[in-house]
Amino acid sequence: MRKYLYIFKSKVMSNLQYVFDLAGGMIGYFLHIFVFVYLYRYLYMGEKDIINGYSLNQMIWYVIITELIWCILGGRKLCYKISKDVKDGNISYNINKPYSYIGYVFFEHLGDIFIKGIIFTIFGMIIGFLFIGSFPNHSILSIIVVIISCILAMFISILLIMIIGLFAFYIEDSNPFYWLYSKVILVLGTLLPIEYFPTVVQGILKYLPSYVVAYGPAKLFVSFSVNNTIKILVAQVIYLFISYLLCVLIYKKGVKKLNVNGG
Amino acid sequence: MLTEVRSQIKVTMLSIKYAIMRELLNKVTFISNIIFMILNNASFLIQWLVLYSIKDNFGGYTFKQVILLWGMAAITYGFSHFFFKNAYHLSDTINTGRLDTFLVQPKSVYLQAITSDVTVSAIGDILYGYIMIFVTGFTIEKFLLFTFFGILGGISLTAFIIILGSLSFWFSRTDIIVDTGESLAVNFATYPDGIFKGIVKWILYIALPVGIVNYIPISIISKFNIKLLLLCSIYCILIVLLSIFIFKKGLKRYSSTNLMNARV
Amino acid sequence: MSNIIEIKKISKIFKIKEKEKGLIGSLKSIIKPKYKIKKAVNNLSLTVEKGEIIAFIGPNGAGKSTTIKMLTGILCPTKGEAVVAGINPAKQRKKLAYKIGTVFGQKEQLWTHLTPYDNFKFFGAIYDLKNYEIEKRIKELNDTLELEEFINTPVRNLSLGQRIRCEIAASLIHKPEILFLDEPTIGLDPVVKENIRVLIKRMNKEFGTTIFLTSHDVGDIEKLCKRVVIINDGKVVLDDSMENLKYHYLNNKIIEVKMKEKVNLSDEDGITILKDKGYNLKLSIDVAKKSVADVIKLLNTDKIIDINISNEPLENIISNIYKGNKK
Repeated sequence: MRKYLYIFKSKVMSNLQYVFDLAGGMIGYFLHIFVFVYLYRYLYMGEKDIINGYSLNQMIWYVIITELIWCILGGRKLCYKISKDVKDGNISYNINKPYSYIGYVFFEHLGDIFIKGIIFTIFGMIIGFLFIGSFPNHSILSIIVVIISCILAMFISILLIMIIGLFAFYIEDSNPFYWLYSKVILVLGTLLPIEYFPTVVQGILKYLPSYVVAYGPAKLFVSFSVNNTIKILVAQVIYLFISYLLCVLIYKKGVKKLNVNGG
Repeated sequence: MLTEVRSQIKVTMLSIKYAIMRELLNKVTFISNIIFMILNNASFLIQWLVLYSIKDNFGGYTFKQVILLWGMAAITYGFSHFFFKNAYHLSDTINTGRLDTFLVQPKSVYLQAITSDVTVSAIGDILYGYIMIFVTGFTIEKFLLFTFFGILGGISLTAFIIILGSLSFWFSRTDIIVDTGESLAVNFATYPDGIFKGIVKWILYIALPVGIVNYIPISIISKFNIKLLLLCSIYCILIVLLSIFIFKKGLKRYSSTNLMNARV
Repeated sequence: MSNIIEIKKISKIFKIKEKEKGLIGSLKSIIKPKYKIKKAVNNLSLTVEKGEIIAFIGPNGAGKSTTIKMLTGILCPTKGEAVVAGINPAKQRKKLAYKIGTVFGQKEQLWTHLTPYDNFKFFGAIYDLKNYEIEKRIKELNDTLELEEFINTPVRNLSLGQRIRCEIAASLIHKPEILFLDEPTIGLDPVVKENIRVLIKRMNKEFGTTIFLTSHDVGDIEKLCKRVVIINDGKVVLDDSMENLKYHYLNNKIIEVKMKEKVNLSDEDGITILKDKGYNLKLSIDVAKKSVADVIKLLNTDKIIDINISNEPLENIISNIYKGNKK
């Protein structure tokens, strides 16, 4: 465990330098929220106060949380790194090292986004407060649940993106799959909660990754309930477990393939 | 003068041809990049389908108009990224001293610095734009106007990016400004202007290549207006001239700071 | 003979942003940047005749690259003026470009996924050559630079030596009057280096191209150039023919001897002991003060097993000039 902690720590330190990148990311994040505030204000103008179970303020908070998770994640960079490792053959150098490649990359990336995550979260809360003027009702316990759910969402998303990156064992460029993944998450859970979709579609959406990496934590933040908590956390744990297994499986198969072909 | 222009065009075309040849080395990647970009853009149809099921008008746009707006944003973006990929890396080109190569050649540094590489997935954006014409009802007139504004907008967007990138002649790290400028333009270009109010709207029409590049063309396609068309053309010419002016100003400074900064 | 390059009191001053260490330092440098003035080139004057091969050398940071960049139109001088092939590079960059060729050893100009042939076609188009002219020129270059065997192989599959040959060929496509070579043999093995040198020489002879060369490789300089210009701190510290350089600065001889028995010799006027391992000695002699014969007399000639007298290597001469200038 110590070696992973070390990897984590050293990445955190070197990232202190990337103030610029951080500023750029924050502006981008703000822009998204800005557009959605206007879009949803327009949507609720002259309509009922509650649409599909959400008030305007809840919708804005919803997007603040889902976009927050997505912006902190930095998935494009992670996917690029892994597919590059596979293509350059770096991945085979890692086979002999006394740690697992999956663990290394996972914790390295966590270290990468740790400080960014804290700053973005504060920033997101400030933006939300400025646009809306109040926070959703929460107890200390419920806010802890939300944070846990957000962290689980991150973990799952990192693992899923790693799986996509590892596709590079089989195809030349795994980037298009990353786009596809990002669009599934974006359109089917980040921009709009699943209650907005037709009832038939909702049944399917509950099984998609967007449910656990975007919808779940945001839903808990805007309207907390014990019932939802159980449903979402269970779904997240199952997803985490399966995505980890898949990740290890694809890595092992891929490395074997690499060795047979001589890299 | 004329022969100079002709030979410049020949060189630019040759660099685009060579860059495409490079991308074609891997045909599977080439095609999958294009197809996935089309799917990528199409995914936003879902968002609008859901929103229009609640309300049938967003900022004065019908569903068809919003889709066409997306198509327009895609084609301008695609055109710009396909032909002028390096405009988006101008900051890097300046900071690493890669302008040297172009400075010893008897051609326009401005053009050489922004061409000579292509983004394959941008072909998907351009195709998506045209698919949206068919989806919203094809007419020859619409097709021609769409193409015209696509090219005009692509050039305007590129000029805007070059202006931001040229700031690297004065300040070393401006890639964030370029990225922000790009995401500003792209974000707003895909949402109807009617949802924005006050100062934001002013910014969209004056400071960013969005209003005149995306919103006005959509209104012209719905209802032809020669005055607005001229306005768009003049805007495009002005912003290109401005970008050339700033680039040339900066190039004189290229000598003084950045080259050393890059090596220190 | 006419001068092809005339540099008149040229200077280039850089303003360098100074950055303190760490995060706070970076922030500070954004808010209130501090500048340091550096004179990269300082009042430098030089003329080069048509058809010459000139070595332009100096330690790192001496101002070599900056000078070349001013001569090729990449940088504008802060003060002074240069005339290259009758053109002022700062004013008529494009016109100059037709008359000069450049090879920067560390910067590639070629498209790596294309064959050299396609690359030449591209560079031909850049210099407005007609198709038949390009074909004709490729043939000429082919003969001189021996590109035949790999002219249709993508550049990325070529060896470093082959690539450099292609870089040189590409920079010659428009028959430039002057060729600027910045470290052309960097990273090459000795055989390939020799090869490139022969080609450069041949090019100079057959096309009459003036060659302006910078290199850290003494072999390049010794074998190619008749004239050497050494600069340091932005100024010319030596401008002489290769012969003179060797003659004047060859006051020192190196003597290595292997003896049957130990000799006791110590530093005295004109003799410096470089190495003393008892039986084996390495001496440096200043012939102006002590003749070689005198020194040998000091040794017991009967007990000499082996003796080797040689000139001081050019490398040492040059580094002594660099050092002498620093003092």
